[in-house]
Amino acid sequence: MMKFFTQVGLYFLLLKKVFSKPEKPSVYYKQTMREFVYLGLTSVGIIAIISFFMGAVITLQTAYNTENPIYPKYLIGLGCRDSIILEFSSSVAALILAGKVGSNIASEIGTMRVTEQIDALEIMGINSASYLILPKIIATLLFNPILTLISIIVGILGGWLAGTSAGVITSQDYIYGIQYAFIPYYVTYAIIKTLFFAFIITSVSAFQGYYVDGGSLEVGRASTKAVVFSSVIILLFNVVLTQLLLS
Amino acid sequence: MIKVINLEKSFDGRIVLDNVSVTFEAGKTNLIIGRSGSGKTVLLKSIVGLHNVDKGEIWFEDILFSKLDFAGKKAIREQMGMLFQGSALFDSLTVEQNVRFPLDMFTNKTLEEKIERVNFCLNRVDIINANKLFPAELSGGMKKRVAIARAISLNPKYLFCDEPNSGLDPITAILIDELIKELTEEYSMTTIVNTHDMNSVIEIGEKIVFIHEGAKCWEGTNKDILHSDCATLNDFVFANALAKQLRSSETK
Repeated sequence: MMKFFTQVGLYFLLLKKVFSKPEKPSVYYKQTMREFVYLGLTSVGIIAIISFFMGAVITLQTAYNTENPIYPKYLIGLGCRDSIILEFSSSVAALILAGKVGSNIASEIGTMRVTEQIDALEIMGINSASYLILPKIIATLLFNPILTLISIIVGILGGWLAGTSAGVITSQDYIYGIQYAFIPYYVTYAIIKTLFFAFIITSVSAFQGYYVDGGSLEVGRASTKAVVFSSVIILLFNVVLTQLLLS
Repeated sequence: MIKVINLEKSFDGRIVLDNVSVTFEAGKTNLIIGRSGSGKTVLLKSIVGLHNVDKGEIWFEDILFSKLDFAGKKAIREQMGMLFQGSALFDSLTVEQNVRFPLDMFTNKTLEEKIERVNFCLNRVDIINANKLFPAELSGGMKKRVAIARAISLNPKYLFCDEPNSGLDPITAILIDELIKELTEEYSMTTIVNTHDMNSVIEIGEKIVFIHEGAKCWEGTNKDILHSDCATLNDFVFANALAKQLRSSETK
């Protein structure tokens, strides 16, 4: 229990260091642009592929489980839209990003720690926590909402393509369904959740990497811990945020 | 001049540095020697502030460095250069970007001026036509020299080297030693080198401090070290077969 509180204390002390005044904003700007590419743009592909197939599967499953003349066909499109916006594109995509981005951050910072690159930054008088972690947090906070929007669009597109190709729904019904009783706040809700999850993924993973002590084995362990802890915290916050935002 | 007074440091109750007091002289190559695990690296990292000490004082000239906060230490650290055991070059940056890094962070020079300074530093350490290479593409000796170039890019007042010869062949090790000594004299730096390489001790040790089991055991110069009465030091200095033969031939 004591270890848990020590870790939580260390996490908040690290955040305090991260959010202190940057040494030279122009250098941080360049770093943030770099992280935009490494953490954001390189995730577009995997998010698009998974969203497309998830959209397709949700549509087909909804269709085969609602084969009842009482239910209008357009409900398939509506079900696909709401499943993707409310849960998949924010929460499940965040879990996927925790695996990809989280392990990347923990292993990068962890390797820098064990090869004394972080010590080299400190010796130069640079706030290493801020220099290494702040650009990653800013980049993910700015880019992950874009990933969520991409995921929503591609997921709904995947559902349409699978549904019409399999002949379970007509194009008109599907398009009517995704427009039916649309609540724009659901997108806001998804974006708010994404922002929280982006911060959790980046800060928790960076924390695991920053305090690595040892060698390559410990870096690997930190990378695994980053994914596990980020995922668990995301799931916990998913419940809390859903209750707060939708009640 | 760097002065260490009654320094103590322990990790989880295990004493690593025990009441160490020593003065490192300005404009000289000061060496910290000792066996692996004797506390050399902890002493060096405590001096530069990477470890917080339990007790004692560290003075840089007339400034009590060990009591400064982050901002205060930052001002001194901008005058420091450090060569790490594993070079600690930034993997994601090229050789040129590595050497330019301190200039980007702490100067307002134009890009042309920075590149001119980078090329000067790289030429000074005999690294030619490698500006666009990444650290992974360099040999161990080249990495050390690039790390030295980065360390001197801001004309530091203090240079710290942690095991600069580790993992290098004897010829490259001598070149690195000579480079450190030349740069120390050229820029009148206070240089502290952490080593257990006896060749370095004899070649560049203008002031030598021997650490044994966390305590200062002996101090002197490279001229005194071969004629010391300190048994622990002699065990260390004459540990290898070649040194033993030299000593026995001298005795005869």
